[in-house]
Amino acid sequence: MLRVEGLAAGYLGERVIDGIDLEVETGEAVAIVGSNGAGKTTLFRAIAGLLPKMAGRVVLDGEELTRRPAHRISRAGLAYVPAERHLFPAMTLKTNLVLGAYPRRPDPDVLELVYHLFPRLHERQRQQAGTLSGGEQQMLAVGRALMARPRLLMLDEPTTGLAPLIAQLAFEALEGLKNEGMTLLIAEQQVPLALSIAERGYVLENGRIRLSGTAEELERNPEVRRAYLGVA
Amino acid sequence: MSDDAKTRGGRLGAVSGRLGWALLPIVVTAVVLAILPPIWFGDSPYTTSLAVQALVFASYGVGFNLIFGSTNQLFLCVGALAGIGGYGAAILADRTSLPVSAGVAVGTMSAALVGGLLSWIAVRRSLGVIFTGIVTLVFSLGFANLLLGQREWTGAESGLFVEGIPARLRDDQVGGYYLFAALLVAFLVVFRALQLSHVGWAFRALRDDEVAAELAGVNVSRYRIYAATIGSAMIGLTGAVLAYSTGFISPATYSFDRVDVRVLVLVAFGGLGTLLGPVVGAGVFAVLDEQLSSSFELREVLYGVFVILIFLFFRRGIVQAAVSLADRFRGGGRPQPDLQPSGE
Amino acid sequence: MRAVILDGLVLGLAFGLLGVGMSLVYGLGGVINLAYGQIVVLAAIVASLVIEDGRAQLVAAVAGVLAAAGVAVLLDLTLMRPVYREKGEDRTLLGLLLTLGAAFVIGGLLTWRYPDGALYIFIGGDPVSILGVPMARGSIWASVIALVVAALLLLFFGATTFGRGVRSVIQDETGARLVGINPSFVRTVIFALSGALAGIVAVTQSMSGPLGVNAGFELTTFALIVTVVGGLGSVAGAFLAGVLLGVVQSLSAHYIGQYITTIILLGVAALTILVRPRGLLGR
Repeated sequence: MLRVEGLAAGYLGERVIDGIDLEVETGEAVAIVGSNGAGKTTLFRAIAGLLPKMAGRVVLDGEELTRRPAHRISRAGLAYVPAERHLFPAMTLKTNLVLGAYPRRPDPDVLELVYHLFPRLHERQRQQAGTLSGGEQQMLAVGRALMARPRLLMLDEPTTGLAPLIAQLAFEALEGLKNEGMTLLIAEQQVPLALSIAERGYVLENGRIRLSGTAEELERNPEVRRAYLGVA
Repeated sequence: MSDDAKTRGGRLGAVSGRLGWALLPIVVTAVVLAILPPIWFGDSPYTTSLAVQALVFASYGVGFNLIFGSTNQLFLCVGALAGIGGYGAAILADRTSLPVSAGVAVGTMSAALVGGLLSWIAVRRSLGVIFTGIVTLVFSLGFANLLLGQREWTGAESGLFVEGIPARLRDDQVGGYYLFAALLVAFLVVFRALQLSHVGWAFRALRDDEVAAELAGVNVSRYRIYAATIGSAMIGLTGAVLAYSTGFISPATYSFDRVDVRVLVLVAFGGLGTLLGPVVGAGVFAVLDEQLSSSFELREVLYGVFVILIFLFFRRGIVQAAVSLADRFRGGGRPQPDLQPSGE
Repeated sequence: MRAVILDGLVLGLAFGLLGVGMSLVYGLGGVINLAYGQIVVLAAIVASLVIEDGRAQLVAAVAGVLAAAGVAVLLDLTLMRPVYREKGEDRTLLGLLLTLGAAFVIGGLLTWRYPDGALYIFIGGDPVSILGVPMARGSIWASVIALVVAALLLLFFGATTFGRGVRSVIQDETGARLVGINPSFVRTVIFALSGALAGIVAVTQSMSGPLGVNAGFELTTFALIVTVVGGLGSVAGAFLAGVLLGVVQSLSAHYIGQYITTIILLGVAALTILVRPRGLLGR
């Protein structure tokens, strides 16, 4: 579904990521793992159109997304949930969700799905988004992305700032999504968590793909074990 | 490469060489200003008064440059500060029998005080550039209304006549021209001295990156207030001397339209933060005004076009743009930086 | 006393209408449009030319509004492009300076070509008595229009999809892009809207008295005061601030004096910046 070829991007003329090749098949969950500063966020921002690309291509189901601006990429079916979430703080939770479907009217079925996955959001739907807790904001961010009925959901460090228990719940919700057929691309520092739901993964280091393989292969790989496992 | 040459040249030689180098532009300017009357003005009081106008605006510009160009405080109240100087001096001349110097001193100090106060307020309330601009604009307009409203003190639209200065120093006489020229050169010397001292280094630091400057130990607030006070003093002094020299002032003399906009444009044109920017700008605009003396409105249109062009393409000013262009022709040698920290 | 307050309310609604256009653009894109007053004057001149041509006042009003909206779009598509490429304070400063230049160009051209230009929309008929106070019909029309516009704007931003989209860009531009909203397009539309509002201001102001070609700077000043006091990007805030300032102005002018009144209004703006920078209803 998603094909990235030779992608390079960065800031102020410097390439932070270079030569990125990756693929995500329909219905798969793929993990991008790497430590802080490896370039995961840069990669995602480049794919989502928030950061200009210095080289390479991004193709979604045959559609060339390379030169498109962020809002057009979003409308093409690639939803991005950034680590900072970027919610609308002075609007109610419900309005945030409704806006996720822009420019269309919200699909009541999707809304119900979101409330089913995240019951807490249903309780607090009239609350202002800025007053929600970290975990609730994360759920809202995912819910908002879902309202657009995306083909591919990209999540950047979805467990940032979440207590371990909440992080676990979040990943269980993501697994539920996957079972409904959603294609996922997740960037995570917490490798065990990421590989628990992903079929395949890529290891990003210093802006380049260092390793790739199935989840089992990566888990067994001694370098990965040394560098990332055991680092909570 | 030039840095190496400096250290090799020996400290004393380097310092005096740099001092000479630093004062050179001012000396050149002073010489040019000095010889201008005989070769250009002839005996025309009209041309002389135009030249005086240009000098006045250049002086305003140096003060504004110190406040906005050096410490990023958008003071849209240059006219008002000059007006405090001018009206302060005029009212004193009108009401008391104090000598001219007292009037000028009072006017200057009042302006300095107000400028420093405005800066202090901006600093205390952490006002950014925009809000500082709005607050000072509000102050400007308020001051103009004050002048118009207090008829008893200021004569409102009818203005005030200011007596007390010898005829030689009137603004349409060569004596007046030299008076203002001396004033401008003095301001330039002060500006340059500040630039070269630790104050100038602090200014450049806080203009580049305020947070970094604070972390490096620069008391940003204090330097801002210094700059505002000194700059306002310059503006107020000019306004006060102007009042005596022209012999007549009215709210229009110091209005936002007439003063602030012009100062902003000509300083930006010449180069914000540079030493001679205001001088170059004032000179160019004096000539332009002459060419367009027929239509006030078209002059306004031209100002507008200039503002747009300058801030779109020549944000560092014409002087800088010319210097960069010249450098590129010379093969990319790095230009001497304007500001040097003292005592290496 | 009642008359003074009612005058203040009429004035206040006019202030609100004047401020809301500038407030929207400032709140949305961080741009202070110092050419706003000149756009109002432009609308007035266009309308006056249409009237001179012998057309009905309504046609002239529409022409003025369209002209203003058109000029606003032109400004947005040209001068505002480099401005939007900057961020934060740099953007506001550049926008302020470029629109100042535009103000001089527009104002200068208008005063040069039409030095005696003015718009006066005459509403005939005897004064109507409101709460025992005789009010000129023109003032009543102006106030009603202002109220209708306020209601339409609130409805637009509160209940329509596009309106919500606009609010989202104000609150988090990146978030808006992520949900498929094009901030650039939104900004252009709002700029056009602010231009149309400027045109409406020209029409309503000229109902109370002739609106001359030199009124530009004063209009911009008052719009700025209302924007600052009301809070950026808030329609309700602009009208609330407008009414407040209108009543203050009316009371002060009646009981104190004209010049002091202006100083008081300016003082309120300065005080707002110093004490509550986000304004009455801003974020």
